[in-house]
Amino acid sequence: MDTSDHHFQSDLAEIAAEKYKAGTLSRRGFLSAMGALGLVPLLGNRALAQASEVVVCNWGGQASDILRDLLGKAFEEETGIPVRVDGAGPSAGKVRAMVESGAVVWDVCDSGAGSAIVMNGAGVIQDIDYSIVDKSKVLEGTALPFAVGNYLFSYAMAYNPTMLPGGAPQSWADVWNVKDFPGMRTFRKSVRGQLEAAAQAMGIAKEDVYEFLDDDGIKAAIAKFRELRDNIIVWGSGSDSQNLFLQGEVAMGNIYSTRGFLLREQMEPGTFKMTYDGALLQPGMWVVPKNNPAGTETAMKFIATVQDPQLQAEWFVAIGNGPINPAAAALVPAELSEWNPNTPENVAKQVIYNDEWYGKNQVSAEELYIDALIG
Amino acid sequence: MPRMNEKLRYWMLVLPALAVMIFFYIWPVLNIWGISVTEPATGLGNYTKMFDSNAVRVSFMLTFRIAAITTVVCLLLGYILAYTISNFATKARPLMLGLVLLPFWVSVLIRSFAWIVLLGRSGLVNDALMDTGLIATPIRFMHNETGVLIAMVHVMLPFAVLPMLTNMRGIPGSYMKAARGLGASEWRAFRDVYFPQTLPGVFSGGLLVFVLSLGFYITPALLGGGRVMMISEYITYQIQEFLNWGLGAALSVALLVATAIILFVAGRFVNLRKTFLERN
Repeated sequence: MDTSDHHFQSDLAEIAAEKYKAGTLSRRGFLSAMGALGLVPLLGNRALAQASEVVVCNWGGQASDILRDLLGKAFEEETGIPVRVDGAGPSAGKVRAMVESGAVVWDVCDSGAGSAIVMNGAGVIQDIDYSIVDKSKVLEGTALPFAVGNYLFSYAMAYNPTMLPGGAPQSWADVWNVKDFPGMRTFRKSVRGQLEAAAQAMGIAKEDVYEFLDDDGIKAAIAKFRELRDNIIVWGSGSDSQNLFLQGEVAMGNIYSTRGFLLREQMEPGTFKMTYDGALLQPGMWVVPKNNPAGTETAMKFIATVQDPQLQAEWFVAIGNGPINPAAAALVPAELSEWNPNTPENVAKQVIYNDEWYGKNQVSAEELYIDALIG
Repeated sequence: MPRMNEKLRYWMLVLPALAVMIFFYIWPVLNIWGISVTEPATGLGNYTKMFDSNAVRVSFMLTFRIAAITTVVCLLLGYILAYTISNFATKARPLMLGLVLLPFWVSVLIRSFAWIVLLGRSGLVNDALMDTGLIATPIRFMHNETGVLIAMVHVMLPFAVLPMLTNMRGIPGSYMKAARGLGASEWRAFRDVYFPQTLPGVFSGGLLVFVLSLGFYITPALLGGGRVMMISEYITYQIQEFLNWGLGAALSVALLVATAIILFVAGRFVNLRKTFLERN
């Protein structure tokens, strides 16, 4: 479920790849480390991903099952090529490790714009063939030369009305208003998707958020978290945030819309609400590693097949991934429409994720953010 | 046939374990120390950064504070328990000892999750207190320092009880009887005769608990609500989130040095050899 969660990128494989690059780990050491992590198929196992199947890698959990049963089945019906789903989490580091070691087993990977830029910089992913993949079937701005949008998710404001007798929070400013809206809040244990909320709580319009978040703006937004920190419980993984709401530990928070979509069904009626007002809309991205076993054309065909609006709508209903194809909005059942981050109304309410800002500021902001939360 | 040289035999016996330690522990640890002065640039940059960082200071203070409180509480509770087991329980002694050791059979992870079930806002403790009308709104037992302390005391208690128990069971009952026979009150006999003899056990237990607590990771991470970040979690965070091996390594060196200083200072009061090597 932690689709495109770049949290996972900083895993062992990535570190090993860093060391390899920096020359502190020999090629042999690197390959054996990858082997130990199960990333390089052992000798003789290279047939694992034959051209007769497509291996799609995502981040595991229920999302993997649905990817296999819904998108995988549709592709097999259309082309006769079976789809295998690997939930190992295709972080930039792992993809690079695979491509550089010459043992690629993934054909299509569920990544994010930020990681895709890193991977393209490292020269380990292929350009998207837009004669097969349809640019018009994705949200504007998500068709990059080397990656294409696969679904959307948001960091959205969610709350439990039964824990807020004083009324529901209407804006991020209300989330920061501890006096009128008492109770614990949850924010992510990473700066991703969080400073945008703090900036809006300071009265910055959603269009101006990234412009505001220069060095001084970042400091100001972080100071807002320092101010609120005694009322904050942080979530590490998406399931943490889900648990915090389920167990009534928090009254409100900033969580993945996909988790909110699940909580909608899991919580008692009337105890959970989520709004896209002031949320941060972020696309996930398909990327295709260089030298992928099934070949470029098959991989591109898979991406094109799952752009189908009907499939996209079913994918959303199954797990809450916002359809990347705007045409799918009309096919989503009416009662679920308000939960879809990619309807014209909901898109208009949200801040649109800015990769450039993250590329430039994330690391430094991240340290300041943790500093503010703990001391 | 001449007997094998004593010294050679000694080293032959030690060699396999020593080799394992050198290759799989000492060598990697030395490498980590190396990283702290070579990445991202050669020099002491990581250490200056560490001393300049407010978060590091906070995390270190928090770590030592939590370890100290855990130690004091464990010693208090553990002393009473050890005293009871060694002086009063006769038939029930095996059972009580078993209960002290039982938590070792369950992983720290499971025990920490169990505390989440108990201490949550809608957990068993809060539900019971609310149902009996003792409180109107749930008390925040976890996702703060309190929760971390409760769970850590639970995990650490056996480490305090066992050394004290061993020590107390080595004290013959005749001393107390003699003191009582000479007219001392029960309290006085305990204070002046029994208690001083248990101090080695108290120091051993305290030291064990304190040193182990300094490196705690899982329990604070699960029960601290992400904001009670002890130094080992901070190190993990630096390495995994920021790929900041240099600073992470420098922090682990600092933790090691701080622990070594404590052991050194403690060594002036406690017989360390007896604490860690010779359990009788």
